[in-house]
Amino acid sequence: MFKHKLTVMLGILVLFSMVLSGCAAAVPAAQPAAPAAEGEASWWKTASQSASCEGVTIRGISESTPPSNFARETLAPAFQAETGITVELETTSWDEMYNKAINDMQAGTGIYDFVYIEQDIIYQYLANNYLVNLTQLLADNPNLASPDFDFAKFTSFIDNFKDADGNIYGVPMEAFVKIYLYRLDLFNDPAIQEAFAAEYGYDLAPATTHQQYQDNATFFTQYGTDNGLELWGTTVQGNTGHASSFYEFFESIAPTFGVYNWGINSENWKATVENGGGMNSDAAKEALAFWVGLLQYAPPEATQSTWDEVAASFAAGRAAQGWVYGENAAWIATDPDRSKVVGNVGVALPPVSEGVMEAAADGSGYIGYYDGGSFGLPVSSKNQQCTLLWLEYIGQESVQADWAVAGSRIVMESTYDDPKVQEVDAKTDNYYTLMKDEGPLFRGAPPFPFHSALREVVQPFIWKALSGELTAADALDQAAAAADAELVNLGYGQ
Amino acid sequence: MRSNRMGWALLAPTLAILAVVGFLPFLYVLYVGLFDWNPFSNQLGMQWAAVNNYRRLVFDGAFLDSLWRTGLFAFVSVSIELSLGFLLAQTLVKNFPGRTVFRTLYVLPLVMAPIAVGATWRLLTIPGFGPIPYFLDKWFGIDYRLGTFADQAFLTVVLMDVWHWTPFVTLTLLAGLTAMPKEPLEQAQVDGANRWQVFRYLTIPMMMPVLLTVIFIRLMDALRVVDEVFMLTSGGPGTATQFIGIHIYRVVVPKTDYGYGSAMSLLVLYFTIVLCWLLFIALAQVGKQRE
Repeated sequence: MFKHKLTVMLGILVLFSMVLSGCAAAVPAAQPAAPAAEGEASWWKTASQSASCEGVTIRGISESTPPSNFARETLAPAFQAETGITVELETTSWDEMYNKAINDMQAGTGIYDFVYIEQDIIYQYLANNYLVNLTQLLADNPNLASPDFDFAKFTSFIDNFKDADGNIYGVPMEAFVKIYLYRLDLFNDPAIQEAFAAEYGYDLAPATTHQQYQDNATFFTQYGTDNGLELWGTTVQGNTGHASSFYEFFESIAPTFGVYNWGINSENWKATVENGGGMNSDAAKEALAFWVGLLQYAPPEATQSTWDEVAASFAAGRAAQGWVYGENAAWIATDPDRSKVVGNVGVALPPVSEGVMEAAADGSGYIGYYDGGSFGLPVSSKNQQCTLLWLEYIGQESVQADWAVAGSRIVMESTYDDPKVQEVDAKTDNYYTLMKDEGPLFRGAPPFPFHSALREVVQPFIWKALSGELTAADALDQAAAAADAELVNLGYGQ
Repeated sequence: MRSNRMGWALLAPTLAILAVVGFLPFLYVLYVGLFDWNPFSNQLGMQWAAVNNYRRLVFDGAFLDSLWRTGLFAFVSVSIELSLGFLLAQTLVKNFPGRTVFRTLYVLPLVMAPIAVGATWRLLTIPGFGPIPYFLDKWFGIDYRLGTFADQAFLTVVLMDVWHWTPFVTLTLLAGLTAMPKEPLEQAQVDGANRWQVFRYLTIPMMMPVLLTVIFIRLMDALRVVDEVFMLTSGGPGTATQFIGIHIYRVVVPKTDYGYGSAMSLLVLYFTIVLCWLLFIALAQVGKQRE
């Protein structure tokens, strides 16, 4: 009797496993980027053999994003087929990625052979000598220098991963701008345009000023309510317990009000206005008040939204406009399995205060965040030569176009001209063209070696402003004072 | 003499493991707590700080707030779990139709990992997607947003803990109630005692060792809660649900303030040991009274 039951249960279990396996998403077939001619060993195979890498497994960690998932699902199997080196890429949450990578490099355990280096964290890593100098490593191993790999082919984004002497510590794998997305179907609807013009006395258009952005937000929130739609006027990346809200404010919103580098004075490492900083300046307070004020026009999930949920909300058609990380632009605009707004996504530059656009154009300011990252090689890695081959493999021109289409990221100038990219560009309201032409108006995070330590001190005040516990002015006054104290504690601005 | 040696020999593997995974890390944390050590500060390496990290703790408002918040959370959640658990244990002691099915369903939360509990509640409570905000709004007109309202977040975290752990309290108390001798209760009823008097003067005193054991276990768990709360609220909104475990995590991991975080961990360990000791004394006292 028991045996019979056991057999039945095992049968059900096997059947269930088969059904689940069948439901799993199909992994794109691995396609070697540059297959060797029949009978001829590819350069990759030869290099792998010469470094005794065949059969070796290298491990990496990255954030679970479209570009990283492409690297794991498509590039890693293709690389394995070419070289015999297995790549295990762990894609996890942003927080976990940093925790694991930093703990590994700090302890020198060598669990990871390559790690994701976001542009804003590189200065911390360099200060602690966590990373291998790739320029030097290539020079020391000329037999491992691929003819298809050249640092010079990358856009100027690669400069973020150089030290003062121009040595490179990371191979760029993604780069994008945090862009202003809006709903083309709503903004181009004649009836909506007419109603907006009647109410505000000017034409409905993507916002170029903060007041216009707020008017749009107010209008569409009311429009959603009046028409029984799950539609709000704007997204807000306002999670009140996650670093994402800190980043949206300091890297996307504050710069549009002319507050740069988190309001930290890099000459004396001070944040308060009285000490020469700008974190609690009038412009910063106006920026925070504006952004917190947008919560009333945002979907109710806004205070629990990180960058992922913001993209999901916009893709679900729940917001008429918003600041969205560019890595999501392509799938939101083109993937009908994940997005309800396919074909209806417009992209534009974010609204700015007077004088900010001019400052960005002359290089003294910027209008938003130029985000991205590279894969770097930790000093603690025990497979440095094999990992170098992997880094060169992902840095070939031939793999860039498919990667750009899958992840809305571009790290090489030549990728912009690829027909595949141009096809998607047309479907995304010329997102890639905008990134190419207007990219210089955006900028990455400031080169702070104390990046995460200071963020941890300041972000609770931003959260309290978002939850209404503090006013914008009080929050920034307290945040700036805490930042000054922490910087002294960290040995800066004594 | 020989049996003594044999005893130590048998204990040796356990002691060795305890030394490696318990005692040595403790010594290391004690050592690190005496230094200023943040790899991302301007001064690389460990800088001798003596007891300065412990002195900082006394003036650290965020630390003291999180300590107070944790105490409040532990008190409220364990109180509710005990009351509810006792009530359900008394109900489950009796026979009623469907009792077995109810018992099985009731203990399901117990087998879930805390991180899964947090994820489940997160899905239940996200505005716009989760059923809880939807029905609270539809039926009662309540604007329920965990990311915005601190009191709602705290209450939800307490409810989640109650949902997760009340079955454990119930099962333990049920075992105690089942093992209780029936004679004194029947004798009291014969003597004319009402139900309240039987409960107050017989059931509670006879159950006291079990109750104290349950309080002991649950209090320890509640004081070191991290994963399910982190999954649900990440400690927010603001710092409304940032309990001491989450606070230490933030200081040690993202902020990489290893020295100060170590000192903080040790102080919390000290408080926990004192609390355990007090409960142990109470437990021993009850045992003596019973004898």
